[in-house]
Amino acid sequence: MPETDTVVDEDTALDQPWNVVVYDDPVNLMDYVTWVFMKVLSLSKPVAETRMMEVHEQGRSVVWNGGREEAELYTQQLQAHQLQAKMEKPGE
Amino acid sequence: MKAAPTLDGRIRIDLEDAIDLAVLRAIVADAHGRDGDLATHLADGIDPELSEDWADYVLPELQASFNAQLETIAGALSGVTPGDTFFIGRGDAEAWFGGLNQARLALEGRFGLSGTDTPELEGEARSAGIRAHFYQMLQGMLLHFLMSGGNG
Repeated sequence: MPETDTVVDEDTALDQPWNVVVYDDPVNLMDYVTWVFMKVLSLSKPVAETRMMEVHEQGRSVVWNGGREEAELYTQQLQAHQLQAKMEKPGE
Repeated sequence: MKAAPTLDGRIRIDLEDAIDLAVLRAIVADAHGRDGDLATHLADGIDPELSEDWADYVLPELQASFNAQLETIAGALSGVTPGDTFFIGRGDAEAWFGGLNQARLALEGRFGLSGTDTPELEGEARSAGIRAHFYQMLQGMLLHFLMSGGNG
C-alpha cells in the first residue's frame, strides 16, 4: 500500500474563528454605542449595554466571535458607524 | 438657535441669526479639519493578514460613506439663511449624526478636549470646545428622538 503524506496548508484555514473587538474612545456617546451594537450585531438591549460598559470600563470588548467573512462584515459595519473596531485572532 | 422635536417625528431647527448658521456650517468645516483620513484611522492596527484587502475594498466604501454624510449636511444648509427654519427627518438622522461625530472626532484629535471643562480652555480650543458640546447635544436629540424611535 503506498504511503500518503498529509500536508496542512495554514493559509487555507479560513474557518478559524476571529474576534471582533471594539475599543473605547473619547467621542462616541454611550447610548450611541449601545444602539450600534443592537443595530449591527442584533444584540438585545441588556446585552448591548453590557458590551458597551465593558468597552467603557475595560477599554475593549469582544462583541462577536466567528468565521472570517462575517467578522469582516461586522467590523466594516462597526467602523462605518465610526467605532474603533478591529478583527483579532483569539489569544492575540 | 432653537432646536426641538416635532410631533411628526423630525427635529425642527430655527436659525435666529447669522451666528446660528455659521455654527451649523462649522460642522462640515470641522470634520474636514481632521489630521488624516478617518477611515484610514479606524483601520489602524488591522491584522496584517487583512490589511491589503481592507485598503482595496473597505476603505474606499467607508470614505464614500463618510463623505456622503457631510454632503447631506452641506446640502441641507446650502439654501438656508438666518431667520429660516429647517427640519431634519428620520431619513437623514444617521447622516447628520455621523457628520457631527466626524466633527467631534476631528476636534478631539486637534484639541484633546475630552476630560477638560470648556471654561478651562482658551482661545481656539475654547471655541472648539463650545462647538463640540453643541454638536454632542444635537447628537443626543437625533439619537433619542429620531434614531432610537423614541417619542420623548
